[in-house]
Amino acid sequence: MTGVKTKATDRFTEVFGTKAGTVYQSDREGCWYIDFAGKLVKFDYRTLLLLKKSIYRVDIEQLLLDSSKSPEIEMVFICACNHCYFLNLLQIIALKELLEGTFAMLELNQILHDRLSRMVI
Amino acid sequence: MKDIMRIKCLLSADIEMLLNQQIKKEAHSSAMYLAMASWCNQNGFDYSSDYFFKQSGEEREHQLKLFKYVLDMGGRAISPDVNGIKQEYTTFREVFEDALDAEVAITQSFKNIAAACMKEQDFVTFEFLNWFMKEQREEEYKARRALELFEVIGEEGTGRWEIDKHVNKIKYDSETAGA
Ligand SMILES: [Fe+2]
Ligand SMILES: [Fe+2]
Repeated sequence: MTGVKTKATDRFTEVFGTKAGTVYQSDREGCWYIDFAGKLVKFDYRTLLLLKKSIYRVDIEQLLLDSSKSPEIEMVFICACNHCYFLNLLQIIALKELLEGTFAMLELNQILHDRLSRMVI
Repeated sequence: MKDIMRIKCLLSADIEMLLNQQIKKEAHSSAMYLAMASWCNQNGFDYSSDYFFKQSGEEREHQLKLFKYVLDMGGRAISPDVNGIKQEYTTFREVFEDALDAEVAITQSFKNIAAACMKEQDFVTFEFLNWFMKEQREEEYKARRALELFEVIGEEGTGRWEIDKHVNKIKYDSETAGA
């Protein structure tokens, strides 16, 4: 089992990681793997953007102020990709942080590509 | 690390969002003109009704043009919800005032998208927008000319009947039209 995992991560590049989770990119498959909340889930271009959208849409402040729900209540996220996360408020904050870092890194990666390998002179 | 984001889509998230907002605006314009066509028809302004039917169709084409561009560039085109369409007008003139206001707002909107394209050097989309810039010249011209008929002809007596007859004849064919 561990052997399989090491082998798998060899093909992955870490995009961004926090204490709560890590996002890897697989160049070969052209997709991303998110290691979060105890599972490793594969996202392609379209579903990663859908996940970003559904997480960014959550109004965290409003949830914090909402006294009718206890913070332990878990929430369901269906991100149109055969997977759903059951997350509590803290996990939502953590996933948002992870995604923000990830998209910042992907943007940086694009800038690097533009400046270094896409130079047209 | 491969730049998958860029490989999959030419558009940045911001530009894609702006284009989707524009798609919604064009859908709204199309629905607005259709409501105007209905009102004019109900009130006996047949030529104006025809004119607005045609305008409604054109706006739908604008919507699709933008929609297909977003898809062609690898983006996510969103079919918009359209609501809040004004169905009733107090006067014949008000219809044309609203039409011109709407076209001016659309021109401004395209200018904003072009400015955003410039800022992030998306010259591909910038060039695509040229078609719309020129189209807005014509759209604003026609809407302005239509409203001017109310001054030139006047609404008294058979004035409105006369205005209605002229609306359909407005053409943007001055020297600068082709350029
Ligand atoms: Fe339009
Ligand atoms: Fe228009």
